[in-house]
Amino acid sequence: MSDTAPGPRPDRFPGFDVLDQSRHWDSVTTGVVLSRIEMPPDIRFFTPDEQAVAAALCDQLLDQHGDPEDPTRVPVVNLIDSRLAEQQTDGWRYQDMPEDAQAWRDTLAALDREATNRFGVGFAAGSRAQQAMVIQAVQDLGSADWHGLVAQHVWSLWSRYACTAFYSHPSAWNEIGFPGPAYPRGYKNPGVDSREPFEVPDAFPDDDPVRSSR
Amino acid sequence: MTNVRARNESAWLLPTDGTRTNHRLREDMRRFADTEEVDLVVVGCGAGGSVMTQRLARSGWRVVVLDAGPFWDPDSDWVSDEAGSHHLYWTEPRVIAGANPVPLGSNNSGRGVGGSMVHYAGYTPRFHPSDFETFTRDGVGADWPLDYTDLKGYYRAIEEELPVAGEKWPWGDPHSYPHRPHPVGGNGEIFLRGALAMGITAKVGPVAITNGRFGNRPHCIYRGFCLQGCKVNAKASPLITHIPDALAHGAEVRADAMVTRVEVDQRTGRATGVHYVRGGVAHFQRAAMVAIAGYSIETPRLLLNSASARFPDGLCNDFDQVGRYLMVQGAPQTAGRFDAEVRMYKSPPPEVSSEEFYETDPSKPYQRGFSIQTVSPLPNTWAEHVAAQGHWGRSLREYMSDYVHWSCLGALCEFLPQPDNRVTLAEEKDRHGLPVARFSYTQCDNDAALMRAAQAAMEDLLHAAGADEVITIDRFAHLVGGARMAADEQHGVVDSDCRTFAVPNLLITDGSVLPTQGSANPALTIMAVAARAAERLASRRSHPD
Repeated sequence: MSDTAPGPRPDRFPGFDVLDQSRHWDSVTTGVVLSRIEMPPDIRFFTPDEQAVAAALCDQLLDQHGDPEDPTRVPVVNLIDSRLAEQQTDGWRYQDMPEDAQAWRDTLAALDREATNRFGVGFAAGSRAQQAMVIQAVQDLGSADWHGLVAQHVWSLWSRYACTAFYSHPSAWNEIGFPGPAYPRGYKNPGVDSREPFEVPDAFPDDDPVRSSR
Repeated sequence: MTNVRARNESAWLLPTDGTRTNHRLREDMRRFADTEEVDLVVVGCGAGGSVMTQRLARSGWRVVVLDAGPFWDPDSDWVSDEAGSHHLYWTEPRVIAGANPVPLGSNNSGRGVGGSMVHYAGYTPRFHPSDFETFTRDGVGADWPLDYTDLKGYYRAIEEELPVAGEKWPWGDPHSYPHRPHPVGGNGEIFLRGALAMGITAKVGPVAITNGRFGNRPHCIYRGFCLQGCKVNAKASPLITHIPDALAHGAEVRADAMVTRVEVDQRTGRATGVHYVRGGVAHFQRAAMVAIAGYSIETPRLLLNSASARFPDGLCNDFDQVGRYLMVQGAPQTAGRFDAEVRMYKSPPPEVSSEEFYETDPSKPYQRGFSIQTVSPLPNTWAEHVAAQGHWGRSLREYMSDYVHWSCLGALCEFLPQPDNRVTLAEEKDRHGLPVARFSYTQCDNDAALMRAAQAAMEDLLHAAGADEVITIDRFAHLVGGARMAADEQHGVVDSDCRTFAVPNLLITDGSVLPTQGSANPALTIMAVAARAAERLASRRSHPD
């Protein structure tokens, strides 16, 4: 499920920027979070071909099709590459999957093969619509086989790494109204419809994605 | 409060200057030589190992506790951030298998001093009396070789030491808590509202989070990052609840020391110490007694990796019991959407629970039950919940932008102990050259029925609170079993005092000894079982040789 109405997403928390509060964070957390908005780490793990496929895949999964120079763009591929280079896994792998780094290489190659078989063009060179068809087909397979692997385990690998990279970034927090680090400040106004002075109310509270997708 | 400080001074040994670690206490820590035969070496410094260490150090024993991970300093090592807390989890390679493989790592596996309690939510319910005899009462699971009354005093003692905050508890053996219940945030409010509308009893707590000062530990600041390690020192973990007192009584914590093998004298059949690797260098710590407390995956793995001529299939594994009857709780997580802003990230994720569905209900087609608790995932974990609905691309981003409107509950379903849900050794080796654990899990029909019943109950509750839509992700929580206690060596690995049947001076004092799990988070019970084992050990040997 990826398609909904086209056009820009509404800015639900206008003016909200978690970095405005960064002076209230402890120094260790500040170091960790601010490093994410610095220059992205160099690609060390993916080959150039793999990088191109991974970039197209992650752009699709996270709907980041805008300007590559946009400063709010989250460098998802670089962040995934760093984890793989450093073998920073989640601490487990499915028995029927290779270890994560190899699984990424294998599945990116399979994406490329799949696109070539279907459209006569590699995954990264394909149109957005073609890429989306290939990706949706993997999700639709569920527990069935995809290029020798259980499709849902492949999906789990991609979505886990991609979502963690994206939703660790202050740009993503701004988009969802989450203030990020909270130490040593804490919260003084928990509760339904209660806000801290620095929290911004949702400008489109009725913009319920559930309702609109029905 | 019954003079907690006189029996465990940990909270008073922490600093008062706004920092979180008593560095002097660590610098002055007693240190033992490998060649010195200590009275007890403990493997793993989590819930079970820390309590064991603290209790026996207090009894005058010379104790060393080894942990594979770091000796944390919350100020410098922990962050108020989800992805930045990855180093809190055990992320050495492990393989998961079976029809319902269970993810490990952040889900249930800690490392370093404090163990998984560094990143547990903080819920500390007691088990119900029925949990100790599910076979007799309900014909499923197993009976423990001890019962609730054997643990009751230890439950109370640990609740005072953590300390636990909550309302008067009406379920199981009704009891009260030493600290008053915390105020609740948006998610807790929704739970209480839904429960009231449904006529279901829900209570605030029980959480091991200080409500008011406790010793030198400050009040909770409702920051919401309980699962990332509490930088405040408000949420209890052994790092602050038992280790300071252990150090003050002469115990040594040897961090960054990975135990690779328990040595057993092939002639006497007694354990002689443990092999470990620290800084790349192999060591052997001599000890008169060994207690393994590596939790449900690493404890069986260590036993299996300690095979010898006497124990060719793994230490204590003469009857093929090691690694078996490992349990997780089914933990479906159901979220509801509200037009109001819930902002569930504010306040600790553990706020409100209900044990209304905990016991076997004869009118239902399944045995045993489940509990319901607030869970309040932060964005990374919430993205997993949303992505599990099949969203990706634009719809994922739109759903995620709706984060502040969602309330989230989690259930703990009592999965039953089954022999084939177990740890074995995989072909793959870790960087020490040791085979890694393969953890296989397959749900039985009763397990699956509980998952759906719990989901339905949470959906009803959220709808009753006013949610217009609900979405669920099937998750799993906690680990217990894998080296369970039993009446004899044909049915388990240890006796009711946590002594292994096979090796007279080898104990297992962690969650792996639990024969059943109820629908309760296991930390408190693991500590209570370890406290009981320690007391009985100390009373048997007032002067260790």
